[in-house]
Amino acid sequence: MAGRTRTTKKLAQRIDREYFKKVFPIPGLRRKLTYAALGVGVLWLGFHAVARNQTPYTAGPIVSAHAMFGQSCTACHVKTAIFSKSVSDQACSSCHDGPVHQASQKFAPACVDCHVEHQSVAQLKHVSEKACTDCHANLETKDGTLKVVAKEGARIGSFTDGHPEFTALRNNFKDPGTIKFNHNAHLKKETRGPNGNVLLKCADCHRPLGNNEAWPYGAPVVQAVAFEASNTTELRPATFGTLATPHSHISSRAYMGPVDYYEHCSSCHPLVFSKHVNVAVPHKKPEVVHQFVVKTLTDYIKQNPQALYENNLIFERIPERPLPAVPKDAAEWVTMRTAEAEQLLWQKTCKECHNLKLHLDAVPDIPKADVTSRWMQKGEFDHNAHAMVKCEECHAKAKESKETSDVLLPSIKSCQECHRPGTQTSAGAGCFECHQYHDWKQEKHVEGKFTIHDLLGRIVNKPDQAK
Amino acid sequence: MRIDQTQRPWIAATILLFAIATGVYIPYALLTLGGPRGGTALGLLYGALGYSMMLFAGLLGARKKYPIMRVGRAQTWMRGHLWLGLLSFPFILYHSGFMWRGSLTAWLMLLFLIVWVSGIAGAVIQHLVPRYMATQVPLETIYEEIPHVRQQLRDEADQLAVSICGELEQRKMAEAATTGEPQPAVATATLAEIEVADRNRFREVYLQRVKPFLENPEAASELSTPQTAAAAFESMRRLLPKPVHAVVDDLESICEEERQLVRQRKIYTWLHGWLIVHVPLSIALLVLGAIHAIVALTY
Amino acid sequence: MSDAQIQLTIDGKKVSCDPGTTIFDAARMNGIYIPTLCHQQNERPVGVCRVCVVDAGARVLPASCVRAAENNMVVSTNNEKVAKARHTLVEMLMADHPSPCARQRHSGDCELETLAARENITTLRYPRRVSPRGQDDSSLVIAVDHEACILCDRCMRGCDEIKGNFVIGRHGKGYKAGIAFDNNSPMGNSSCVSCGECMTDCPTGALTNKSTVRSTLPGEEIDVEELLNLPYFEKVSGTFLELNKHSVVKRRFRAGEVICREGEYGSTAFYILDGRAKVFVNTPMAHIKTHDSSTGWLKKLTSTLAKRSPETRRGVDVERTRSIPIDAPVDLPLDNPVAELGAGDLFGEMTCMSLYPRSATVVASTDCVMLEMLRNVLDIIQRNKTLRAQLDEKYRTRALQDHLRSVPMFAELDDSFIDVLRQRVELVRYSKGDVIVRQGEIADSFYLVRIGFVKVTEQHPGGDLVLAYLGRGGYFGEIGLLGGGRRTATVTALDHAEVVRIHAEEFQQMIDRYPNIRQSLTQVAHDRTEANEKRLETAVSMPLDSFLTQGLMEAQSLLVLDLEKCTRCDQCTRACADAHDGVTRLIREGLRYDKFLVATSCRQCRDPLCMVGCPVGSIRRRNSLEVVIEDWCIGCGLCAKNCPYGNISMHPIPGTEQGKAKVNYKATSCDLCTDLAEPSCVYACPHDAAHRVEPNEFFKWLGPDAFTEARR
Repeated sequence: MAGRTRTTKKLAQRIDREYFKKVFPIPGLRRKLTYAALGVGVLWLGFHAVARNQTPYTAGPIVSAHAMFGQSCTACHVKTAIFSKSVSDQACSSCHDGPVHQASQKFAPACVDCHVEHQSVAQLKHVSEKACTDCHANLETKDGTLKVVAKEGARIGSFTDGHPEFTALRNNFKDPGTIKFNHNAHLKKETRGPNGNVLLKCADCHRPLGNNEAWPYGAPVVQAVAFEASNTTELRPATFGTLATPHSHISSRAYMGPVDYYEHCSSCHPLVFSKHVNVAVPHKKPEVVHQFVVKTLTDYIKQNPQALYENNLIFERIPERPLPAVPKDAAEWVTMRTAEAEQLLWQKTCKECHNLKLHLDAVPDIPKADVTSRWMQKGEFDHNAHAMVKCEECHAKAKESKETSDVLLPSIKSCQECHRPGTQTSAGAGCFECHQYHDWKQEKHVEGKFTIHDLLGRIVNKPDQAK
Repeated sequence: MRIDQTQRPWIAATILLFAIATGVYIPYALLTLGGPRGGTALGLLYGALGYSMMLFAGLLGARKKYPIMRVGRAQTWMRGHLWLGLLSFPFILYHSGFMWRGSLTAWLMLLFLIVWVSGIAGAVIQHLVPRYMATQVPLETIYEEIPHVRQQLRDEADQLAVSICGELEQRKMAEAATTGEPQPAVATATLAEIEVADRNRFREVYLQRVKPFLENPEAASELSTPQTAAAAFESMRRLLPKPVHAVVDDLESICEEERQLVRQRKIYTWLHGWLIVHVPLSIALLVLGAIHAIVALTY
Repeated sequence: MSDAQIQLTIDGKKVSCDPGTTIFDAARMNGIYIPTLCHQQNERPVGVCRVCVVDAGARVLPASCVRAAENNMVVSTNNEKVAKARHTLVEMLMADHPSPCARQRHSGDCELETLAARENITTLRYPRRVSPRGQDDSSLVIAVDHEACILCDRCMRGCDEIKGNFVIGRHGKGYKAGIAFDNNSPMGNSSCVSCGECMTDCPTGALTNKSTVRSTLPGEEIDVEELLNLPYFEKVSGTFLELNKHSVVKRRFRAGEVICREGEYGSTAFYILDGRAKVFVNTPMAHIKTHDSSTGWLKKLTSTLAKRSPETRRGVDVERTRSIPIDAPVDLPLDNPVAELGAGDLFGEMTCMSLYPRSATVVASTDCVMLEMLRNVLDIIQRNKTLRAQLDEKYRTRALQDHLRSVPMFAELDDSFIDVLRQRVELVRYSKGDVIVRQGEIADSFYLVRIGFVKVTEQHPGGDLVLAYLGRGGYFGEIGLLGGGRRTATVTALDHAEVVRIHAEEFQQMIDRYPNIRQSLTQVAHDRTEANEKRLETAVSMPLDSFLTQGLMEAQSLLVLDLEKCTRCDQCTRACADAHDGVTRLIREGLRYDKFLVATSCRQCRDPLCMVGCPVGSIRRRNSLEVVIEDWCIGCGLCAKNCPYGNISMHPIPGTEQGKAKVNYKATSCDLCTDLAEPSCVYACPHDAAHRVEPNEFFKWLGPDAFTEARR
């Protein structure tokens, strides 16, 4: 180029030596925006701070049950130390009681270790089974010893990995019930019923508690006469009404209702005792039966005095057998007939189901029935959830069971068919499907201390106040 | 800044740390009671590491205020900023367990995402643009001094014009004509041969075609692109007599320089403009992040 | 012989005179005019021009200026024979005379031409001589035109007999004969003292006064008589002084008045006649500092963290330099740069002779009377022996000691040694371009520079390498004191330089008493030889002859910015400013090579042009590469002008002058951050884009096509 030269000196002398000290558009804008961004952020938080509102800091939505006091974190986040406001157990226990699991457990986790808030319901109520396996995968106790039962549950990795067989099925445990029952005999194809052969189904005797349908074989052929006797106690076990433990998530129809003589047995097993009268003895204690027999026969002979002279047809048939004596009067007749009836009853009828202890001059002793209402004490089972499955799928041994002492609780293996952890095609296998952490038998009552104002943190209408 | 072989150690370290972090995260996420979240021990560790990386990255700005302080070379800090900043995002994601349900934490995650993405974009820009600038704008000067240099270019152009045609402004010319003052002597002997008419023509050409462009080179004009400018100057050369051509050549080179300065401005905006997003948000991020950390730890 | 008068007849007139009188004088005393050229009344007659010949009746016409009158001589001064002879003679002289000669043009009184006019010589029959005799322009005050010289020898007699300087003589024979100064040196380089005697004696325009522009020096005119009364103007021709009257004036200053300011440009020197003046450096003795907003505790914090040693400008080297060399008889001590000048002191020599900027500020302490003079007058008095002796003495007593002590070897000497040495030094003057010592010569002296600048160069196969520029207080040739060595470099005077020379023999006599001096001398010699060898090695490998545009090979260290990595973030500039109290020494602008920008920052050139002419010697090189500017820079801006790359910039620094605020300037330049481990710009670049690199290394980076034209 003609006159223009370009030398370092010329270029350098074009530049003002102090140029870098001024603030230029882009850095200036940057600076302003920095202050703006900081200002917005601080204002936002400051605004909430002034309104005593800590919603920006929440770690996530809280469950609806806690939502009403969710605005103020201090309801749960109580100040425990100078810079710590973690949720302590005391904070939870001001509303909830969580009884200890085992006294001998090595360490008791804090409430928040398992019940994680700010993550919706799923984590708060439904704790994952890792909470259990953290200890039970390798169980240790405070003093280092493990009781026998605990030993069984010391190496549980999951439902299918290390979970012991149900207690009732271990160690050749026998059903302690004293009522003799042979399932096989009752489930045979030709079972004799009051009106011919019947094929009994499980549900004809076993139905969930609370089911109010009519029993197919429920109406007894021989009506039991309501008989008020003294010193009788109700035979229905008291525990049947309170089977489900609190806080468990099974339905009210989880467990099978008790088997009742009148509803389930009486139509095929009537308690007749005499050809003269067509009544059944009440299914009550032997003293009551005896009194009933005596009364019924006395009433009968009063009304039918000619019966005094009738031969006992039974004995007539036996040749060479001397005929029994003829009763003199009604009383003797009653006595004689009573003896015969009681002989029938104690030796045959009652004996069919009960193990009587006969006494020579007194009514026999009938041991308590001891029918187990709930086989699994530590785990819950909901028959309602399994209603679609055939009974004999799980209770497979019932059909072939001939002994009363057979434990017909299905083995854990039948559960593990469907309840396998992890896969898409299985039912849940979490511990909390069946078990509870807290020992609810120790549950204490929580005394309510809060007013609505306390919970909501604002003035509320007291509905009962006079206006 | 170029991302070249010299950055290899950093890249290797970053990949390694990321692999380790992920390797630790996966079992943690699967096995932790309650799921992976910020409050668990590992979650806190990820959070602390991630935040310290962010803090280091953010302190680069402060480091630049004290450039000669012997706390590590600026290059180390820059590379640390780049790679640790890159790494901090996965760490914070692991810290959060991929959840950001709270109000503050959701905003933090959004801010962080913008900052991180803008940082990566900026790194790419700063990798590509300097080379582009070096090849496309050989006449570049210091950006902050562009107005000053342009002023000097305008003065130079004016002086060149004056050397041909005397006073530029009509008013001054008229005054000179009335008072009878002689026109300033022209320096070069050849220029003495230029007729008055040619001088006037030159003045016209200069004032109407060249000077407006120099005053405002960013407006569209015939001199705005090299091709049209070449044509324009060619036409000027045909219009004007030979002795003036040297000056026209000089004016052409001045215009070329002006064009390059305009170009430089535009490219520079790219080179530094992304910082307008990156820096303010990152400061806000660090402060809010600190608040989050303090509040979360106390609760 | 009796004292009786001699009687003779001249042109028919009876004349009587004392015995021994020449015919010329006898005629003159009796009103008879005989033209002369080579004869002057105040000089011994020699009779070489033969213009004054007369007819005394003999066969040969005698020259009347030398021939003594005899009794009964009949002299004819103007008869036909004489007239013809005279006419021809004048014609011949005029044939070679460059008419009108300088004297004729200036004052119209060229004696030859006047004589020719009187002789009515208008046309010349004889041709001009073929070989030119030339002119001599070297003297500052007298113009020599050999063409006009008629070899009358008046100048010789004036210089020898009247003034006794014995400078002018004759040389050559025949048509090559001419007058010569010393051994036929140019007049300005000779021992001529510019008294002007020859000039006033010369009849023609051979020796004339160089007319200077009639300057308008402010001040009183001073009478020639007054000047002649001054001791060092004695022996100067009054006519000469008359002619040079306008170049010297008398100045009166009241107490407190500023006589000259440092950094200003000037062309005069001052000689104090009466009174005392204070000379000092007014610019603050400090670095240039600019403050930005962050000061106070934060800066203290950063400076503790920055791990910088506190200002190391007061390094080892500087400690030895206890004084600032200035253009005056005395140097200013570094810790308190104030000194006093009194009657008889001459200052401002360098400014006057070589037009360097004023090196210090001089303020009158009492009412002063001074002479202010231009170069020609200074030159006159500088050659004056009386003044020279006076200057010598002053230098010896006042400045020599400091200068000697600044030499590392002599730093520890005791005063007695210095005293002895003091008397044995010789002050030698050199003119521009004179070689003081030559590489390879036998070394026999040690030199200190009293005034002016010298260039130290080393010859290399590829060219000459400038090692250093030395100004006042600089020294060279220590090896010479050992005796017997050879010079390792050539030292040339760049302008009117004066050096102090110490001969080795003088030195040897005393050195036995100081064995450690000998040891340090030997050490210095050894180090010097080693350094030279090393330099030779690197120099050979340097393509000194492939000199690229913008002279990159001149550099020893370039700051290059890799434009592909540079994000134009300005961190380098800010870091530089941070390391230098807010003043950046680097600008991110310059020419390019390939993808590199060579930034504007001191290149530590091999030939540091910036160093030439610093009036106070503040820009210099210490023992290593970097060019540093010391604190006492007076801000004259000469170095900034000299630097061809614009690497030195001037920064304003507030100061005071006599109570009033004033903005001074200081020069700043990159010093490679000597007090930090690494140059700050390189350290602070976040993208590895800034590098300080040697040119050879740089060219390796550029690749095989490095020597093609620069990209732009």
